[in-house]
Amino acid sequence: MNPIIELKNVFKNYGDKQVLKGINLTINAGQIIGYIGSNGAGKSTTVKILCGLIADYEGTVTVAGINLSDNPIEAKRKIGYIPELAELYDVLTPMEFLSLMGELYDLPTDIATDRIIKMLTAFGLENNIHQRMDTFSKGMKQKVLIISGLLHNPDIIILDEPLSGLDANSVIIVKDLISKLAKDGKTIFYCSHMMDVVEKVSDRIIFINEGMVIADGSFLELQQQQGNESLEKIFALMTAKEGSNQAASAIMQAFDSQ
Amino acid sequence: MINRFFLGIALLPAALYSRMGVNIKHLKAILKAKLVMDDRRPSSLQQTKQKTKNKSIKMATLFTMLMMALLGLFFNIPFFIVADPITQFTLYFSFFITILAFTIISDFTSVLIDIRDNYIILPKPVNDTTVLLSRLLHIVIHTSKLVISLNIAGIITVFLLKGFYGAAILIFLIPFATLFTIFLINALYILVLKITTPEKFKALINYFQIAFAILIFGVYQLVPRLIEKASLQAYAIPEKSWGILAPPYWFAAAWKVFYGGGSLYLIAVTILSILMPILSVWLVVKYLAPTFNQKLTLITGSDQGEQTIKTEHKGLAFKRKGLAEKLAALFTQKGSERMGFLFTWKMIGRSRDYKMKTFPSIGYLMVYFFVILFRNKDLLSTDKLRDSSNLGTKILLLTIIYMLGFTILQAMSNLKQSDKYKAAWIYFITPIQEPGNIISGAVKATIAIFFLPLAIALIILSVAFIGWNIIPNLLLGISNQLLICFFVAYISMREFPFARTATNKGTGFIRGLFSLIFPVTLGILHYFIYNFIPVVLLLALLSLIGTWLIAGSIKRRDWNSVQSEYRE
Repeated sequence: MNPIIELKNVFKNYGDKQVLKGINLTINAGQIIGYIGSNGAGKSTTVKILCGLIADYEGTVTVAGINLSDNPIEAKRKIGYIPELAELYDVLTPMEFLSLMGELYDLPTDIATDRIIKMLTAFGLENNIHQRMDTFSKGMKQKVLIISGLLHNPDIIILDEPLSGLDANSVIIVKDLISKLAKDGKTIFYCSHMMDVVEKVSDRIIFINEGMVIADGSFLELQQQQGNESLEKIFALMTAKEGSNQAASAIMQAFDSQ
Repeated sequence: MINRFFLGIALLPAALYSRMGVNIKHLKAILKAKLVMDDRRPSSLQQTKQKTKNKSIKMATLFTMLMMALLGLFFNIPFFIVADPITQFTLYFSFFITILAFTIISDFTSVLIDIRDNYIILPKPVNDTTVLLSRLLHIVIHTSKLVISLNIAGIITVFLLKGFYGAAILIFLIPFATLFTIFLINALYILVLKITTPEKFKALINYFQIAFAILIFGVYQLVPRLIEKASLQAYAIPEKSWGILAPPYWFAAAWKVFYGGGSLYLIAVTILSILMPILSVWLVVKYLAPTFNQKLTLITGSDQGEQTIKTEHKGLAFKRKGLAEKLAALFTQKGSERMGFLFTWKMIGRSRDYKMKTFPSIGYLMVYFFVILFRNKDLLSTDKLRDSSNLGTKILLLTIIYMLGFTILQAMSNLKQSDKYKAAWIYFITPIQEPGNIISGAVKATIAIFFLPLAIALIILSVAFIGWNIIPNLLLGISNQLLICFFVAYISMREFPFARTATNKGTGFIRGLFSLIFPVTLGILHYFIYNFIPVVLLLALLSLIGTWLIAGSIKRRDWNSVQSEYRE
């Protein structure tokens, strides 16, 4: 099977600081990848490289057989990106914003409009289609962002904390959607701190720590390696410089000075 | 309509763009969205007003263009009061370059440093040339809107006074002056980014917006009063003088040379007016823009990560007693009152929302202050000021003293509102026994920030120019200001600071009217007893006692008398 995403010896520096120290990954189509790392581990940098936000890296990145450095435009057509922060032009209405997205992905206007209406309706935003988003809650903006990443029906979907701010029903919708997209042959690259969700939705989990991949396998495989623990515990065991228990103890000790 | 026109013009060379590798469909879509966003983004002039009304902005382009066209009318004044054409056009281009630079800095910088493009446009299959050209055309369209509006009145005036040829030369020179202004702005950005952090750069832009709003108001109020027609009529900037150092003079000289010839010196200056903008564009493209883009990455990156952590760490490591802590120790009691003081002090200093609402209003008051001084400049001689029987001097002094009090009333009226009003939950989950203490601390912090420096300056200046005998009246004036502040706080501050939405109606009409009548009444009473020093001193004492009593009742305010939108 041809890999849909391939990273070979990817390095990235910010000034003197090396953020990625030789990442090697091969991801096949239809997989749901849970990409996990603590703050500053290099998770966001990997995502930004995959999405074409960072171009000056060392190594080779291939997306759907296209070298990202050689042909970033074609590679970007294959990817749908849903960023962590609700970064959108919120003085626009969802229809205006998503139409712009449709244009940039070269979707025919009628198809884009049809999809926008259907997707907004599915998320319960049918009454807000022509309302400016600066009045929206974080969850409503997140829903628009999710639609913007799916609108062009991409082969690869990169989600960076997609459940942030969503209400309970929408969380269920997104989780179901992820499973359905994967069944449809889409590749999902899912970054999150919400381990319980990652544990449930991912069929392959990758831990990144200090710019390096430190674990790669299914949840069951990780459990076999690290003892029959939850994903949260496994992550803590593999990444924490001091155990989480020690950190909690240190917090408790702060009361002793009284 | 206007945007469609500019978009059409910008896309006229579409064939050329295509040959450069630009995707026209993408370019059009991006520009269209950007222009719609411009239309919904308030300008500095709208921003200071809009914040209080919290209404969605529509047709900001039209508003800005109309405002700029009105402002452009002021540029024409030199054509009617000065005879020498070089002086006329030097003043004209000075106004134009200043206002254009201020407008671009205050209104467009936020667009230039907007990081959302990185997340929205860059991950899409849009090529770099298209993204670059869309940015460039966006800047060109924005600048064109301003330049056309600012100069329309000038072009018509020059056409009527100097004929078609004169107007044509002006039209020819305006783009050169514009290019030079853009160079100045870019150089300023680089300079500011060199001497300060990217985070402070953003804050500085806010101050620029505030300064711009005050400048416009000041120009409107002061310029017509400052013009002394007779003395300006005969004034002409001498040739081979300081004029060469002022870029507007180059463009004025160029106009003169093209219109009716000039000396060799003027021809040399004309060459400068053409060469310098071209050279400046080269400098911008070659050196300044790339440096700016590098710095821009820092600005966009400064929102997250390391920079913030470093600052916080530094803050913890080097924490020492600042002015706020010292004043808090002086004016407040330990506990929740001091917490209210320090919290309000920090919020006033850091809240963009508060600053954008309050500082322009205070700036406008200051402009009025100077207008009053200017109107009464005859009274400002030391002899007249020292003469306590002079009616005019008495009125002027009292007006100044009582006007200063309005600055703090203005500051206090915005104290309750905040965009982050939901953060007021902290008051309700903590075991505060007397919520009035927090309100009292907040009022005292507002007085310390907005009134204390003015009162100190007033005392120093009054003693210097009038003498020690002004002290009793100053004492009464200042104690009355404190009485007014605490009284207004007593009737209107029934909420915690920064705990209400801007849309809430707030203080009622009657309370608002009373807040206005009370200072005016005290001012009039003060006028009648101005020369009876023992009475003045006695009333100052009574006023201070009144202030102390009212401050005490604010502090004792309990949970039943505290209102909150948060709880409603």
